Amino acid sequence: MLLASFQPGERAFGHFLGLLDLRTLSLQNYVVAFRRAGLADALVTSGLQLLLLIPAGLFVNSAAAYAFARLEFIGRDALFACVIAFIILPVEVLAVPLLLCARDLRLTGGYFSSLAGLTLPFVAKAFNVYLLRQHFLLLPRELEDAAAIDGAGVWTRYVRIALPLVKPGLVTVALLDLLTHWSDFLWPLLISTRHDTRTVQLGLANLFTQPPLDWGAIMACSVLATAPVLVLFRWFARYLVPTDARIGLR
Amino acid sequence: MSGRHRDAWPALGLMLPGCVLLALFVGWPLARTLLSSVRSVDLLSPEGGPWLGLQQYSDLFADPRFLRALYNSAVFCALVVPAQTSLALLLALWVNRRERAYRHLRFVFLAPTLVAMPVLSVIWCGLYQPATGSEMGLINAVLVTLGLAPHAWLSESAIALPAIALMSIWQGVGLQTLVFLGGLQTLPREMFEAAELDGASAWQRVRYLTVPMLRNSIVFVVTVTTILACRLFVQPYLMTHGGPDDRTLSIVQWIYESTFVDHDLGRASAAGLVLLSLVTCIALVQRRLLPEEVA
Repeated sequence: MLLASFQPGERAFGHFLGLLDLRTLSLQNYVVAFRRAGLADALVTSGLQLLLLIPAGLFVNSAAAYAFARLEFIGRDALFACVIAFIILPVEVLAVPLLLCARDLRLTGGYFSSLAGLTLPFVAKAFNVYLLRQHFLLLPRELEDAAAIDGAGVWTRYVRIALPLVKPGLVTVALLDLLTHWSDFLWPLLISTRHDTRTVQLGLANLFTQPPLDWGAIMACSVLATAPVLVLFRWFARYLVPTDARIGLR
Repeated sequence: MSGRHRDAWPALGLMLPGCVLLALFVGWPLARTLLSSVRSVDLLSPEGGPWLGLQQYSDLFADPRFLRALYNSAVFCALVVPAQTSLALLLALWVNRRERAYRHLRFVFLAPTLVAMPVLSVIWCGLYQPATGSEMGLINAVLVTLGLAPHAWLSESAIALPAIALMSIWQGVGLQTLVFLGGLQTLPREMFEAAELDGASAWQRVRYLTVPMLRNSIVFVVTVTTILACRLFVQPYLMTHGGPDDRTLSIVQWIYESTFVDHDLGRASAAGLVLLSLVTCIALVQRRLLPEEVA
């Protein structure tokens, strides 16, 4: 894909060896991709979407997960059963009703409301609440009990003791959100009707569907739709390493 | 220590943002879906038409195309879930080491997961391309070089769905490996050192220490893989359009078609709820078979 992105379109498929021909390398495909797919706007939109969604999601979901894992309150099990049921709901099933709801909440139209429409519905995620609860359940209860005896309230125990200990879980959740929403296609297609709030995947799809079909530009766009995630993943992976080095399997 | 009322206020505070958002963006659309599944609703006039009751559901199960989609999704689950879960566990055990080389290897397995599914579907279309001279896809080119018969992978009815399943396992296994790695990293290393000193073999350590202690992760991975497999959509949509002869038509694709092609929101909602209840049953059975251990 990387090789094909630097070659004229007609060489993208067919002979794989043709991709290694150094004489025809050029940046032309990238220029075309930026112009035809509106990639500059698309990269900003996708970036902002993830920047808003991931930190908010980490806070909201881990807070709820901690309450489910550690606190006793009336209706907890019933509420958690609801959350489990929500995990299963495929986005595709709810997409159209969700779009009608988002319209009622005025989450379409303007630039910022479109951005909110891309982000807000997916901040709280039953799936992530469940995953983080599993991580909280694995922590030894004694640490928090000791803190409670020393007078630490629920908030202190959650922020100071439990959260730092589930860092691998938090990184996993952040990565899952990153992957899901970077590559999400159906929801951005429905909600972002403006040119300047298209995501990268929508830009790519535009290249596919609008003639003329230019495989070189498609490959260039695919590279740009892939590279940021790879870079971000390496960045996140650093946070996995220290824990890994301490308690890895030998 | 645990009065049921003592924790109520802090719990409310911690859960409020999550619950409000979930109610707004999952609960409310779900309620709308439930309502439209018992009525005749057109996509373009979502206010809803006449009341149909359960008629919608009996029509659904009389539709051979929907039954075909149901069967395809079941076959896809049966192909993907066991293969992907065991492969992910093996890979996680293999790469969960401290040496630098393994960290790079981990990244290699994850790479396909990091690339968006629409992009991968198009590229695998290229790989699976049938044998037509210079346009031959890479997989067939390799097969022919090895002296084996080439196949039209995506248009032969017997192998189209397994071909998509293979590509999906390759794409998804990295993510499940990541979840297993997250679980492996919370295990106490001392126990494994003690077992090793006592002469437990690598297999014994995996069988009697890792697998039981990873139970939560395993339940999680099996459940999630099943759910994701039931949501199959992008791959057949882009690679085969549900063909040949609806052999790769998935439930979600059926729902998508009745929503956006037939504009029949009511019928689509009913099918969505059938899918939902199916997956719920599978998840419940799995949780019963593999009871969750609460620390």
